[in-house]
Parts: sequence; structure tokens; C-alpha cells
Amino acid sequence: MNIYFGLQTATQQFADVNLWLLMPELIVASAGVLVMLVDAFTKRLDQRWLTGGISLIGLVAAAVSCVWLWTSWTGPTEAFFGMIVLDRLRLSFTLVFLVVSALSVLLSMIWVEWERLPAGEFHALLLFATAGMMLMASGGDLVMIFLGLELLSISTYVMAGFRRTDVRSNEASMKYFILGSFSSAFLLYGTALVYGATAMANGTPGTTNIREIAQRLDTALYPPLLFAGAAMLLIGFGFKVATAPFHVWTPDVYEGAPTPVTAFMAAGPKAAGFASFMRVFLFGFPFVVAAGTAQRLHSAWIAVLVVLAVITMTVGNTAAILQSNVKRMLAYSSIAHAGYVLVGLVAAGAASDLGQRNEAIAAVVFYLLVYSIMTLGAFAVVTILARSGDRRTEIEDYNGIGFDSPWLAFAFSVSLLSLLGVPLTAGFMGKVMVFSAALDQGYVGLVVVAVLNTVVSAYYYLRLIVVMFFRERSGAWNAPLVPASMAIALALTVVGIFYLGIFPGRVIEVFQASPSVISRLLGT
Amino acid sequence: MTILIFLLLAALTVGCAIAMVAQRNPLYSAIALIGVFLGMAGIYVTLAAPFIAAIQVIVYAGAIMVLVVFVIMLLNVEEEVRRPIRLRYLIPLGVFLAALLFAETAFIIYFIETSAYNPPPATQSNVGLTASVGTGLFTKYLLPFEITSLLILMAIVGAITLARRVPALEVGGRRMQAATTESEKPSAAD
Repeated sequence: MNIYFGLQTATQQFADVNLWLLMPELIVASAGVLVMLVDAFTKRLDQRWLTGGISLIGLVAAAVSCVWLWTSWTGPTEAFFGMIVLDRLRLSFTLVFLVVSALSVLLSMIWVEWERLPAGEFHALLLFATAGMMLMASGGDLVMIFLGLELLSISTYVMAGFRRTDVRSNEASMKYFILGSFSSAFLLYGTALVYGATAMANGTPGTTNIREIAQRLDTALYPPLLFAGAAMLLIGFGFKVATAPFHVWTPDVYEGAPTPVTAFMAAGPKAAGFASFMRVFLFGFPFVVAAGTAQRLHSAWIAVLVVLAVITMTVGNTAAILQSNVKRMLAYSSIAHAGYVLVGLVAAGAASDLGQRNEAIAAVVFYLLVYSIMTLGAFAVVTILARSGDRRTEIEDYNGIGFDSPWLAFAFSVSLLSLLGVPLTAGFMGKVMVFSAALDQGYVGLVVVAVLNTVVSAYYYLRLIVVMFFRERSGAWNAPLVPASMAIALALTVVGIFYLGIFPGRVIEVFQASPSVISRLLGT
Repeated sequence: MTILIFLLLAALTVGCAIAMVAQRNPLYSAIALIGVFLGMAGIYVTLAAPFIAAIQVIVYAGAIMVLVVFVIMLLNVEEEVRRPIRLRYLIPLGVFLAALLFAETAFIIYFIETSAYNPPPATQSNVGLTASVGTGLFTKYLLPFEITSLLILMAIVGAITLARRVPALEVGGRRMQAATTESEKPSAAD
């Protein structure tokens, strides 16, 4: 008690403030506030271009600051007493989030007008959600990760219920809110237990800092508390990324939420959940050689994740076959993809060698980048075809549209083939990277299950393509007009899928290499 | 002595929690919840964390519960009607799984992990004192504190977006009208 009065505060730096390290998050959050202010002081007519434009500028500025941090930052890599860390995991995930968010802005620009929704609030919420995702990747402390998660979750709950006159949208929002709060409670309880377990015998209170947790694992006062805490953290993250026993909310929420929001939810929060998942489990409960609590904890969570990965892939793919609604089918497909990512996470967790671990982490980030791009592409087409009010989302509605709007059908087919993992597309490269990382660690059985699941997934991805090109159309149908912002988003996703599928080397190198190599690559 | 006080407070907390779930009248549930919060506050006091105990009473038992009671009054919630439970066969399964979970936890704690737990006495710790909470807020937890303000700002925006009157969006409620007529249109129209 005595140390808190005077002495300590005089000698230590007051608050370890370093705003440079927080630059990308600050830019995105400020852009969100700016969007709200601009929205309040302009006429309704032109607001979507204005707020959408400001959002895009803010996201690009954040990306520039992120690259700047990556290439030319030589200062400390921690700030705010370890609350914010600067490493490859954070920066590569931040870039993925910015790509997801920018594509979502492009997708939603014209959609808010179709649905007659307030554009300013939508873009502001999207930017706040992005700031939350970035904090989830940059937080070096469980408190920071929880706050980032809440920032992301609460804005996503609101966005899911954004179409207020639609009952399905309300239902999706309510379901997501109740189950999401439940899983946040798991995460918070896990954090509390880990904090309690890491208290030390000399009276030092516990810690929520991830690096310190890793150091104190073997001296934990009461190991069962640590195990229970880790299990609850695993459940919390498992819910957010929709792994199998915790996936039940996904199809209902994805189906009911407005399609551009579904696109964002399927890509962004999933990637953010994996960012924190990896941060906490790879750095907080890492691989150790010496037998002890840390070693047992490590082998326990790896074993649990192997089982979860198998269940997730199998449940996702088999349930997707049975769906008759395209959004539900893509929801189950996103569950299956969470399973593939878990395979990479297991590989990263099991790696005893630091180089191999970094390679596996890069593989997971690359997979999530690829997955985000192709999912956003697929949902973009679904948005355009569904028309206002999400009326046409059944698979029957896609009968024979292939030759009437060839470009849309082409973009959709490319996204679906990439989700399936056909060679020359990005999805193939992503799967190769993740599976080979798992093979390096000797998980042959897991990879065999994953490949078999990929074969199963061919059925429902190819079925949609067959329906589009080889079925007779039922009922009258005129090809929808594709607005410019949507066309840009679609073109970007198609180009991205082919670029990452044919020349993945450069991006992977950027994700793997140390900062000095990056600066050489980018010529700075 | 300490163990006796703990047992009393724990019994109060758990009893009120069970009462809260079991009550059919929402107002009784709310009052039982206040009992839970008070019991928890008492436990915090015995753990030498007076600040957290005070906050527990002021914020939870005071402010938040007043809000809850207000909502119950405003919505005029009647006593919950007893409805036949669908999926009745799942109840034994749920009880079985819960018992299994408890048994598993107890087995691990008593037979797998037999290491003794010798915590330092609570009075030695700084956690939960007003001074340490204040110091923490302005040093180590400065950034989380600021992020919380961002969180609250976003929650306000979201709540207003979801709750405001729809016709206010557009001149004279034209939008609201347009939205409803469109959703009523049969989907075969286009």
C-alpha cells in the first residue's frame, strides 16, 4: 500500500504515452467522429458520397500510417505499459482489417440509399467497428483485447439491426446481441480467472499482460484456475470466430442481417477474433520444453483445438449442402473456413521453432486475407441480386441468370471457385499454405480431414455455378444495374483473387519477413 | 470467524441468485438481484477491497438497479405466464450435462491437481483500494480508460440510430411510407 503514495509515481514515467504507435487506430477512430460531425451539418442528399468518401480517405490514411510503422519505425515496440504492442501479427492483421473495411464501405455506399438508411451513422459505426478490430490485433493485454472486442461487437449488433422496418433484421440483431454478450461474459470471466491464477506468492497481484502471463505460468499459485480461465477464453474466442460447437448463431444472424453487413461480419470480426485468439494463445500460453504447468496447458489447448477444427470443418461443410438459401449456405461455408484457419492455428501453436511459428502465423494471416476478399466478393454479388429488402436470396432465384448478367455471374463464380480452392485462385494458395504449415508439424490426419472436407464443399459451391448457367429461369427477371461503387468493389475482389492466386509470393514475404526486409521490398 | 462471515455472505449471494431466476414476477427478480450485489459487496469488504465494495453498492445496487426497476415499471411487465415448455425431453439432458460438468470440474480440482493453494493474506494486497485504483487509471490503465469513452460514444450513436423515430429521417415521413409500401410489394414484381 505504501508504495503507491508518492515514491513510485515520481520515479516512473507518468503514463508511457506513445501516440505514434497508436496512429492507425487513432486515424480510423477520428475519421469515425468526423463522419458523424459532417453528417450532422450537411444536407441528406449528398451525404453518402461525403461520408463514404471520408471513410475511405481515413482507411487509406490508416493503411499508410500502418506501412510507415512497419517500414521506418525504429522506436520502442510497446506503449502504454504493454497495452499496445507493435509486431508483425498486429501490422499484417491491421492491413487485412483495412482492406475488409474499405471493401465494405464501397459495398454499402449505394446500398444505404436503396434501403433509405442513414448513411452517416452506418459509416461511423463501420469505422468504430474497424477501430475495435485493430485494437484487438494490437492489444498486448487482455483488458485491451476485451475492450476492442466490445467496440467491435456492439457496433456490429447495431449494424445487424440497421434495417429497422424488417423483422428478420431485428431478429438477427437480437440473437447476435444476446448470444454475443453471453460469449463476452465467458471471455471476461476467463480473463478474471487468469488474472487470479497469475498472482504471485510474494503478494504481487495477478496480471492481464500477455507477455507477463507467459512468464508466470509455471509459478501459478493454483493451476486449475489457469486451466479453467484458458478454457473460458477459448470458448469466448471460439464463439466470435464461429467454430463448431459455438456456431449455432451464425446462420440465423447471417441470413437476417442486411447483406452488406453480413459481408462485413463474415470477414472482419472473424479475422479480428483470430487475431486475438492467436495473440492470447500463441504468446500467452506458448510452447515450452520444460515439463510443468505451462507445458501441460500448451498441450491441452492444442489437443482441444485439433478436435474443434475437425468438428468445425465437418459440421460447416455438411450443413452447407442442405441449405436452400444462399446467405445461409455462405454462413455455413464461413464456419467451414474457420475450421481451415484453426488447422493453421494448431500448426502455429505446435511449432517449437520460432521461424516455423512465424511462417505458420503468416500462413494464417494470408488465409484470412484471401478468405475476406472472396467472401466479400460473393456477398457483394448477393447484395446486388437480392435487391432492396433482401428479397431474392433463395438458390432458386439464381436459376439461369448466368447469361443475362454475365459479368455478375463471372464475379460470383470466381469467388465461389476461390472459396472452394481451385488452382490459380487465391483460395487454393491459402489452403496450400495453411495445410503445408500443419504438415510441417506432423498433423497428417488433420490435413487429410481438411482435404476431404474441401472435396465435400465442392458440391455446394459448384451447385450454385451450375444453377446460374445451366438451369432454366423461372419467372420474369431483368438484369440488375450494377452501380459504380459496387463495380469497383467487385473488380477489386476479382483482381485480388487472381493476383493472390498467381503471385502470392510477394504478399507472403511481406507477412513473414522482418521489418528490414520489408523496407527493401518496398524500396524505402 | 472470517470463514463464518464468508459463508453467510456466500449463502446470501447464491440464495438471492437462485431466487432471482426462480421468481416469475420481474420486480421480485430485480429485488433479489440487489441482494446478490449486496452479498458480493460484503465479500469484497472481507477481501480488503473497500473501493470496489463501495462501487458495487453505488453503481450496481444503486444506479443500474434503479434503471432496471424503471424499465420494468415503464414497460408495465406483468407476471410471466406459465407456458407449456417445448422440447421438454431436453430438460433431463440439460440436468445430466450440468451434473457432468460439475463432476468433471470437481474431479480435476481434487484428484488431478492436488497442489495446495496458499494465497498471501488479502490485507497485504493493494488491489481494490481507492489509491491504487486511482493510480492505475492514470498510469497503467490510461489507454483502456480512453478507449472506454470511445466505446460509450459508439454505444450512444448506435442506441439513437436504433431507437429514433423513423419519419424524422426524411421530410414529412415520406421515407417511412416508401419503405413500408416497398416491403409489402410482392417479390415477383421485378
